[in-house]
Amino acid sequence: MRLSFLKQDRTTLIVYLVLIGLVVATSLLSDIFLTSRNIQNLLRQVVPIGLVSVGQTLAILTAGIDLSIGSVVSMASCLTTGMILGREALIFPVLTLVIVLALLVGFCNGFIITRTGVHPLIVSLGMMSVVQGSLLLYTKSPAGSVPPSFDFLAWGKVWMIPFPILLFAVVAIAGIFILRRTTFGRYVYATGGNEEVARLSGIKTARVKIITYMICSFTAALAGIFLASRMGMGDPLVGERYMLDSILPVLIGGTSLTGGKGGIGPTIAGVFIFTILSNALNLLDVSAYWQWIVKGLIIIVAVAFYIQKKQ
Amino acid sequence: MVENIVEMQKISKAFPGVLALDKVDFNCIAGEVHAVIGENGAGKSTLMKVLAGVYRPDGGKILVRGKKIVFASPKDAQNYGISIIYQEFNLIPELSVAKNIFLGREPKNKWRLIDTPLLNQHSKALLSDLDADIDIQTKVKDLGVAQQQMVEIAKALSLNADILVMDEPSAVVSGRELDSLFRIIRSLKQSGKTIIYISHRIDEIFQIADRTTVLKDGQLVGTVNTQDIDKPRVVNMMVGRSMTETFPARQQGEKKEILALQNVCRGNLIKNVSFKVYSGEILGLAGLVGSGRSEVARIIFGAGDMDGGRVLLNGEAIKKAAPKSSISCGIGFVTENRSKDGLVHSLSLRKNLTLPILDRIKKWCFIKEAQERLFCTNCVKEHGIISAGIEQEIQYLSGGNQQKVILAKWISINPTLLILDEPTRGIDVGAKAEIYQLMRRLAKEGTAILMISSELPEIIGMSDRILVMRDGHIMGELSPSAATEESILMMATGQNSDLNQAKEKPLAS
Repeated sequence: MRLSFLKQDRTTLIVYLVLIGLVVATSLLSDIFLTSRNIQNLLRQVVPIGLVSVGQTLAILTAGIDLSIGSVVSMASCLTTGMILGREALIFPVLTLVIVLALLVGFCNGFIITRTGVHPLIVSLGMMSVVQGSLLLYTKSPAGSVPPSFDFLAWGKVWMIPFPILLFAVVAIAGIFILRRTTFGRYVYATGGNEEVARLSGIKTARVKIITYMICSFTAALAGIFLASRMGMGDPLVGERYMLDSILPVLIGGTSLTGGKGGIGPTIAGVFIFTILSNALNLLDVSAYWQWIVKGLIIIVAVAFYIQKKQ
Repeated sequence: MVENIVEMQKISKAFPGVLALDKVDFNCIAGEVHAVIGENGAGKSTLMKVLAGVYRPDGGKILVRGKKIVFASPKDAQNYGISIIYQEFNLIPELSVAKNIFLGREPKNKWRLIDTPLLNQHSKALLSDLDADIDIQTKVKDLGVAQQQMVEIAKALSLNADILVMDEPSAVVSGRELDSLFRIIRSLKQSGKTIIYISHRIDEIFQIADRTTVLKDGQLVGTVNTQDIDKPRVVNMMVGRSMTETFPARQQGEKKEILALQNVCRGNLIKNVSFKVYSGEILGLAGLVGSGRSEVARIIFGAGDMDGGRVLLNGEAIKKAAPKSSISCGIGFVTENRSKDGLVHSLSLRKNLTLPILDRIKKWCFIKEAQERLFCTNCVKEHGIISAGIEQEIQYLSGGNQQKVILAKWISINPTLLILDEPTRGIDVGAKAEIYQLMRRLAKEGTAILMISSELPEIIGMSDRILVMRDGHIMGELSPSAATEESILMMATGQNSDLNQAKEKPLAS
């Protein structure tokens, strides 16, 4: 049963083999790589990228994309610290409000995309600009503060496991579960695979897409809140890198930009490949500029590989 | 001694699940206008695409000017002077006429830049040779269809083609525009070009063709001199087939009104269409492609809009039509184009099969997967779907098995009305027979079936009643016992009236 699953899902297998190979190679090249300090450092980088990549996987599976993720990360981080301002009693109301606001952004993305037929790339790009602009009107520099208890989100531990890792694991497993086991998950694949067939089969494809973009923004909000806790303040530009950092792991994982094929499992491998690669290049003292070049080439090679494989 | 400029010998071409060409011989004399006719799916276009180097034949050989050649690409064929003008034009709408004609072959000046004066001069010359009054600076998107066709012809001539293949040119132009197309074909012929003219309209061949080749079901029926034959004989060659297909006997179930259309309209496509469908019957809807048949189906299913009229299901008017509500009312819809809007190719057989019934096999929002697998396994068994298992990706199944999956998918909703748009297109004889059996069984069990088909034997063999559409109108109802392929074709093309007109006015030449 399990074996037949691996046979069919060869892409997932390949991605995980690449990941294992990368871990082995890096640990041979660097003594520091497998130290507990480096692993903790690595995992802390994995969390925000992993969270947004889970959301982005859903959007890309419907043959869409969400470029506004980065701005929602920034928004969540700034609003959280800016409104809590060190008052412990406000943590829960503020977090609720931030998440509701993020869901609203996602709803707008999905609503505009399904109503107007404008390509998701353009809608979410516009939305990114709107959210980022509004945020810079709110604050132009890192701002706000959080009470000590808020640190738990980034630094706390539950049964020896760092809380953020637990959060990421829960989100990832929930994502995998939704895609594999629920009707909504099935509808996501059908909508991305062939929207007209999905519609003619009685699926409300517009609703599926709107929910997808809301999930996307939700994961971005979680990432933003985590970053706020990690840094102790909100930064209006902290999310900038997550537009690309959410897309690249999805592509490395082999999820197709044309929709309907892929999954969160391979995306998570993609997240680890992506972060371990940065980590390894850092440990090997490769300059940031070379890192850009290497990452750029890897993404092109990865996607070219998947296309060749398909043909 | 006549010389064959093109000789195609024993050409075969198979696509997954269907033999499109079966050892077809075709030859063409230099300087003639040669018509290739046949019904939809007879293999006309496939044969011409083999000639133009688009498809590689699985068997047979091609001789051009007596020399055996193998075309690896359309470019190869062009080098041998063969050019094909497709139904869908290969023009770039945003570029001017002149730029389109010489696209990819622009004349260059000594600086290796495009020599615009020369480009314009050549384009003008080509178009004036065709007597076409088209400004070469106009963008193609601003031209009418007939003018675009002229540009395509000019483009073909600019390649120095002396064998021109026209793929159903009359599908896009008619009336006066068609007359002027014929005039151009005659003058091209006079200047020594060979024209191969594909059509399924019988009238045209008498106006234009020296010789006519008739194809049917991928086989050659024969090549004849057009002047030696008449219209009934051509119709007979086109449709009169050896009845190798046998249709299961009719067994009508209980009869009660399921669906009624009242004066349904949709723009220019559908005009005042009214009819009823009863339980336990198969209603055949015949007509040419583009006569509005598929539009009617989409409207009934709630996938297409209508401007006026009413659709009643079980006596009640449908207010807000949408596929989802249609499905819950028990309407199933097998679409015409299996690969475009029939299947999600990236999903497995299982996931395609259960798309419309997921709501029924879930608890909360979780799919009961064990139940789903069991259902699919049973379905595959019941309908004799041949696959490597229910987890196989649907795109790797043969056409016939894909179609059976689609049918099984819609049968699983227990339809009271099943709409089948070209249910047996592009599938092999065995799968066809199974689908016919299935349709009969469903009708007997009380399902109302609306079957759209271009295959006339299928319409006559399977329908309990036959409606014929033309240009968005229902032209009339026939009973299968009284209908012949000829009578349906006459009704669908309106040839009776054309015939009268032809008698009244002398042939212009």
